[in-house]
Amino acid sequence: MNTGKGHIELAGIGKSYDDGASFAVQGINLKIPDGSYCCFLGPSGCGKSTILRMIAGHEDPTEGKILIGGENVVGLAPVERRTAMMFQSYALFPHLSVRDNIAFALRVRGLSVKDRNAKADEMIEKVHLGEFANRLPGQLSGGQQQRVALARAAITEPRVLLLDEPLSALDEHLRIQMRAELRRMQKDLGITFIHVTHTQMEAIALSDIVVVMDKGHIRQAGSARDIYSAPRDRYVAEFIGGQNVLSGRISDIDKGTARLGGDTFGQIVVPLPEGHRKSKGEKLDIAIRRDDVDLRPVAAQPDLPPSATSIVGRVQAIEYQGNYVKVQIDAAENDDFVSFMPERKFYEAGLTVGDAVLAVWDIQHTQLLA
Amino acid sequence: MSPGRNLVGWLNVTPLLLVLIPFFVIPICVVLAVSFVETDGFGGLYPVFTLDNYAMLFRSDLTLRLYAATLKFTLLTLLFTSVIGFWVAYFLVFHVRSKLIAMGLFLVCTVPFWTSNIVRMISWIPLLGKEGLINTGLQGVGIINEPLEFLLFSSFSVVVAYVHQLTIFMIVPIFNSMARIDKSVVEAALDAGASRLDIMRMIILPMSRSGIALGAIFVTSIVMGDFFVVKVMSGGGTASVVGAFYEDVGVLQYPTAAASAIVLTLVVMLLVAAILRVVDIRKEITQ
Amino acid sequence: MSGAKKTSRKSGTPRGNGRPWTFYALAGFFTLYVIALYGPMFSIYLLSFQDLKGGLVFPMRGFSLHWFEELFMQTRTGDFSGSFRRSIGLAVLVTLFTVVFSFTAGLAFRKRFWGDTAVFYLMIASLVAPGLVLGIGIGIGFNLLGFQTSWYTSALGAQLSWTLPFGILVMFAVMSVFNSDWEEAARDLGATRWQTTRLIVLPILAPGLVAVALFGFTLSYDEFARTLQTAGPLNTLPLEIWSMTLNVTSPALYALGTVSTIVSFFVIGGSLYLITRIRRKRAASTAAGE
Repeated sequence: MNTGKGHIELAGIGKSYDDGASFAVQGINLKIPDGSYCCFLGPSGCGKSTILRMIAGHEDPTEGKILIGGENVVGLAPVERRTAMMFQSYALFPHLSVRDNIAFALRVRGLSVKDRNAKADEMIEKVHLGEFANRLPGQLSGGQQQRVALARAAITEPRVLLLDEPLSALDEHLRIQMRAELRRMQKDLGITFIHVTHTQMEAIALSDIVVVMDKGHIRQAGSARDIYSAPRDRYVAEFIGGQNVLSGRISDIDKGTARLGGDTFGQIVVPLPEGHRKSKGEKLDIAIRRDDVDLRPVAAQPDLPPSATSIVGRVQAIEYQGNYVKVQIDAAENDDFVSFMPERKFYEAGLTVGDAVLAVWDIQHTQLLA
Repeated sequence: MSPGRNLVGWLNVTPLLLVLIPFFVIPICVVLAVSFVETDGFGGLYPVFTLDNYAMLFRSDLTLRLYAATLKFTLLTLLFTSVIGFWVAYFLVFHVRSKLIAMGLFLVCTVPFWTSNIVRMISWIPLLGKEGLINTGLQGVGIINEPLEFLLFSSFSVVVAYVHQLTIFMIVPIFNSMARIDKSVVEAALDAGASRLDIMRMIILPMSRSGIALGAIFVTSIVMGDFFVVKVMSGGGTASVVGAFYEDVGVLQYPTAAASAIVLTLVVMLLVAAILRVVDIRKEITQ
Repeated sequence: MSGAKKTSRKSGTPRGNGRPWTFYALAGFFTLYVIALYGPMFSIYLLSFQDLKGGLVFPMRGFSLHWFEELFMQTRTGDFSGSFRRSIGLAVLVTLFTVVFSFTAGLAFRKRFWGDTAVFYLMIASLVAPGLVLGIGIGIGFNLLGFQTSWYTSALGAQLSWTLPFGILVMFAVMSVFNSDWEEAARDLGATRWQTTRLIVLPILAPGLVAVALFGFTLSYDEFARTLQTAGPLNTLPLEIWSMTLNVTSPALYALGTVSTIVSFFVIGGSLYLITRIRRKRAASTAAGE
């Protein structure tokens, strides 16, 4: 393993069209350590594929630098960058057998038939395609095609492997299976993987680093857990999901906490970090994880611990999910407010649609959004 | 658009332009130029500007008659080829259930296209002639006593030959546009309670429109530009626009022929442009 | 068509198991169309095999190869074998240029470039322009420049101005199934531009290029209007047939049609064979692995 060789740094890169009139991405700054699995996550058109293609060398940034292993690669051909790309469509050559597809990179480098076939067969074994070596891509299943694409990209021993929506062509079941296989391959090869996806769970399950993008900008980059449990802003919280986002105005500040009032909910208590600069009357967005919200019947007027805060609402919809139950409450006017209640607990509470409930959570579980 | 991309694009179309400029643009310009000069009547051209050639053309009743005859053939051919082409394509796409058989039958329709049109045209002579198969057959059964004269060397045989040659130009594009209709759209319409007539009227016909338009471009331009079929199949009895200026060329009346050629080219281009308003041909073909 | 019955219902129109009445009506219509398409052609093939007493209409009078012999003897029917050779030669030249030029133009039109629409409509204009007008223009042009028109210069160019737009339109259809990711993937794997073209683009497009070649050959082999004023002193086959229709009233005309069609069928058969062979060769590489 060549430590440091696959370290990537994107330094202020941007790509604009028509002399800056419109842009695909702008002001991208990011460091990706060698040997990590990094996912770019965002809706279609957010610029994530453009970044991938710029790292691969299929497009050039209009500003900024791309450093791989400390060297600026802007302007270099893909081969010189020692990156390899796996296409969303896989782009397997339809007229070449699995072996010839995988050996293609060696063929254009001038290796003899014997040498390249030997190397290709080695790689074919690695991805468990031995019996399909002589088949054409058209005769393989989606999962097999994906493995061929992976093997073809990996045979050049790249320091970075770039994957453009690699799982989108597969069905749900296969996707989860191939997800694990991708992670295993990455560990085996010990190189940097950069993976572009619009599926939140895919990014969270695979990555060391998740990069959430929107409209050509990075919204947040960090570990999967950071992104999920501490979204930086409303966009990230809503895009990753699993969060209730509430907007309100600060009505009172008291030491480390503030009171927040919304249009449809009463006063809730929000913790403020030390050295905050919030003032009375300011607008504030907060996020509370849905599995942190507990529901209790209003009638019981329970005695809440001082560390808890609550809002009142009516049960709007109940959706059984197996190990938990998704209960939707009409507490926030424009935003969904949902509690993921553990299955047993839900049936103990015996809630039905229309019931008035108290949604309770620990004040410290509140996440302030930028 | 980067300058590199433009350069590659232009390099790749250079061979095309190397053909089109000397063998299409310049010849048209030459004809245009010739149409404005005077002649000594024996093939010699004087570089003197004149509009007489056009004036003569527009003053002549013959011009109108020639265009009327040619347009009549064009319209009749368009009518028959589009009707036949539409139903043949419809049969292949929507009634033949096996894809393989549909492709086989499609190939059967296209093979004659790759054989000589001229040969296919003269092959009607033994059928339609005074002593041809149809006349002798009908006389044999006793339906007619005298041979039907209108069958050969008439407007009828001209249209037959055109339809025989050109229906394929309708079948292929209509077949393509019909094959692109998502079958589930038809099923959804059936589920919504549409009758088969509704489906034809509201789904298949509108979605085949571009194919018909594409076919119409081919048929119109070929019939308008033809004189061979008219000359042979009408027995020389019917003139056509192209036939008339070919005869002018034969007697070395280049300027009048050129003026007529320019007017015809303009008419054809206008007709094609009118059809192109209905269909974005480039989008249609590259899809 | 009985085989079709077993396959599952794929087309949405006919409901239920029975076929709608329109199927039978259209099947009848289709059959009539095919008979009208092929019937006349077969009648002249038959009539070309008559003997010396033969005329232009049925019934067949005798059976011999007399009219074919007359054709090749270059007697009163004109210079058949010479025009035949020239037509083949010209068609081969036209085919070569059409395939190569359509290929490069097809590559160009995949991406937008400055002025592409103008080039495209110039091409469509060349396709629909009356052939004789162009022919006369080229003829006069050559005359003005003091060049002699001939089948391998002026006629070649005149035919290309018609086969090339046609070939490019076919190329568009061929290219529509081409995924540009393939080229990018090849580049990503280290192939040069030339390697990408040779190892990826050309092999994938090969069957389509054969189809373009078929169009080029047959359109040229049959071309009349553009060739009439540009072929120079020596005739091509269609011009020969044209002069025969004006003055020959013997089955020799039909014999010429028969020979011409045999050539066409060889070309069509050869092309289809080549296309299926390319396809099968690809499938065969898989058989070893089964």
